[in-house]
Amino acid sequence: MIGNDIVDLQLANKQSNWQRSGWLQKIFTVTEQKSILFSENPSQLVWRFWSMKEAAYKAHQSYIKHYPKYAPWDYECQPGGEVIVNNHLYDTQTEVTKEYVYSIAQRINTTNYCSTIFKKELDLKLQLKQILAQKLKVDISSVSIKKDTYQIPRLYINNKKEDIPISLTHHGKYSAFAVTL
Amino acid sequence: MTKEELLPKLKAIIEPYVQNQDGLKKLNENTDFIKDLEINSANLVDVILDVEDEFGIEIDNEAMEKMLTVKASIEIIKAKLSEK
Repeated sequence: MIGNDIVDLQLANKQSNWQRSGWLQKIFTVTEQKSILFSENPSQLVWRFWSMKEAAYKAHQSYIKHYPKYAPWDYECQPGGEVIVNNHLYDTQTEVTKEYVYSIAQRINTTNYCSTIFKKELDLKLQLKQILAQKLKVDISSVSIKKDTYQIPRLYINNKKEDIPISLTHHGKYSAFAVTL
Repeated sequence: MTKEELLPKLKAIIEPYVQNQDGLKKLNENTDFIKDLEINSANLVDVILDVEDEFGIEIDNEAMEKMLTVKASIEIIKAKLSEK
């Protein structure tokens, strides 16, 4: 299972005031809050932890198959980059630039995944379909992506559900997908 | 407070965070904050903090977990108000 999440830092700092009273406490564990407050770049760490949690949430939800739930404190970021939720461990990899923070979470850390970040507005689903059609050697018209009853995106080839984990993310100027192949 | 009294108050709280104005026009009990209103998931915390301030209640983790729709939010606000 795979999950990814991108944060447009410019937009995030406009949309959210993480210094608002009570904000950190609603999202982060006590350990995470301490790391943030003692960090040299607290704002960057807020969004790093946030994207790790979101990416792990998507991977975990896709594995457990539960209805959407808002429980960011359940996802505990570890110093080594892992995220633990109810005794399930997810490995995450995070890329931090001045413009964005991007995390990928995987249940089992593999290298056989493909992910791309786009730095402009575009049809993300179409991009993912093109890549999948190319990799799976099928016609793009046979590829579709539909959300299941739990709001999890699933891949279909010729209307048959495939066991290929996918994850899409979009925030501000940026969008990205990750797929296990 | 009745459901009918709570709905406009909740609408006023969520309005600044809504990114899909069409969804706001069609706001009803079944409206989903993320799917229908495209509220950024980090802003859901602001919705919860604003609800706490507006109604003088505390939304604990268990309640927060469910606050993804208008219906669930109204139920939670009603329950927390009755505990006061």
